Amino acid sequence: MLAARTSVTRRAVRTFATVVDAAGVKVAAADSGEAASSVTFLVKAGSRYQNKPGVAHALQNFAFKSTGKRSALGTVRESEIYGGVLSSSLTREHLALTAEFLKGDEQYFVDVLSSFVTDAKFTRHELQEYVAPVCADEASAAATNPATRALELAHGLAFRNGLGAPLLSAEHDPVDVEAIKAYASSVFTKGNIAVLGTGISQEALSALVEKSLSALPAAAAPTGASSKYFGGETRVEGHGGPETVFIGFGATGASAAELAVLAAQLSPKPSVKWSQGLSPIAAALPVGASVETVLLPYSDATLFGFIVQGATAADVKTAGAAAVKALQGATSVGAEDFKKAVAKARFAAASAVDGKQGLVSVLGAKVLAGSAASVESALAAFDGVSASAVSNTVSSLLKAKPTYVAVGDIKSLPYADELGL
Amino acid sequence: MTIFGPLGPSLASSVTRNRGLYRAFKPFADWYADIAGYRRYGLKYDDLLVEERDDVQRALSRLTDSETYDRSFRFKRASQTSILHAELPKEQWVKPEEDVRYLKSHVESVVEEDNERSAWDNMAIQRKK
Repeated sequence: MLAARTSVTRRAVRTFATVVDAAGVKVAAADSGEAASSVTFLVKAGSRYQNKPGVAHALQNFAFKSTGKRSALGTVRESEIYGGVLSSSLTREHLALTAEFLKGDEQYFVDVLSSFVTDAKFTRHELQEYVAPVCADEASAAATNPATRALELAHGLAFRNGLGAPLLSAEHDPVDVEAIKAYASSVFTKGNIAVLGTGISQEALSALVEKSLSALPAAAAPTGASSKYFGGETRVEGHGGPETVFIGFGATGASAAELAVLAAQLSPKPSVKWSQGLSPIAAALPVGASVETVLLPYSDATLFGFIVQGATAADVKTAGAAAVKALQGATSVGAEDFKKAVAKARFAAASAVDGKQGLVSVLGAKVLAGSAASVESALAAFDGVSASAVSNTVSSLLKAKPTYVAVGDIKSLPYADELGL
Repeated sequence: MTIFGPLGPSLASSVTRNRGLYRAFKPFADWYADIAGYRRYGLKYDDLLVEERDDVQRALSRLTDSETYDRSFRFKRASQTSILHAELPKEQWVKPEEDVRYLKSHVESVVEEDNERSAWDNMAIQRKK
């Protein structure tokens, strides 16, 4: 009985079935009967499209500061009274402004989000007093993490401009209010925003969006140049963290399911606790060293690679060489192993859209692009994957120049050619 | 002065609203600002504002770098003239058109923020019926 009831109430519609145009803005909502709702304004305003370094990061931290309707303090206090949570997050391609709240309060929270988009004040003193210190803190916190640092450097090497632009603003970046204002007015346009709702009906959200965003200009959004992959090698001194090496391979074009299968196949992360993974890398890992597969899909390029970390440079060298050898060996995979990898990749894709965050980050980009976004279509891509397609992908990855970043004790960390690249 | 807030008591807004009153008072106001003498020491009116208050300090932090620099230059020059017991040479006096309220708008916005904060701090919330 209980099981039957749960299966009815958990009839999760984890999918944005329809995308409608409300006043020129794409709106998609999925209501699966949650007690709490969330609304996200997904804007194509990541660091990729910024015209000056650090502007996108500053714009992200300017979210929910004073607007024509309410002050920053008023926004915080009123949201607290309603019991909602406001947050903003930035990726290389998207800026997400999210409000999570109890059902029934959507009118207020959609108004908070849209008043930032349409009528933010961007005052100089708020930049100095609140925004710039937070930006500096986030940037310095990210710089202390060697893996994050290696990935930042790898993006710069792999894509140079556009996707290669640093995600966070550095202290020396010349970000002023005028630059932020100009960037905001160029990205907050009708075609550049998608509104995603969970726990709220499509009609209710469309009606609210139509009312509040109709004043947005319909100007063309900034389009970054399409990504090109370059690759290269860099070594940076780092202290205090584990010795870190990133071995990356780039591909242009939308991310293929083959790469996800490859990542699943090579990932040495065990599915069961206290055990060793089945990946060929796992057996060769020295104690204390770790290898993590990284798959970063963007709209027109993908960065695939390994983060290799260890306590000593010698461990990193052994682990890195094992990872490279496993990738080179992935051109010929047994049928059994291939099936396992596809299942693992399929599960990873399905569980990624399980939460609200995943729903927005995985399917949001599709909604913004105007295509129907559903879990089923994301999973259907794995049906067409064949072992030969994967091995073709591997050999084309290996043909291009790899992206190699070493962070840590650069005197003893290996060079790319020492790992067999 | 400070019991009336950081800017002190002022009837200026009601005087300037009435055109006749404004015309009657303007020459007297100009004469008074001139006779007050701060312009002869190279100061602007907002330099005289009592700054030993948290709100005015916050307003001062909102000045642009060049405004802050100019302000401290005026203070240095004024204290030098005070040491010398002499006014500045007449060509260095602050002209009436240069005597702008560069700090007033910042002080006002700080006061407004403080008022809003205390309003939120003291509000009584009623459940929606």
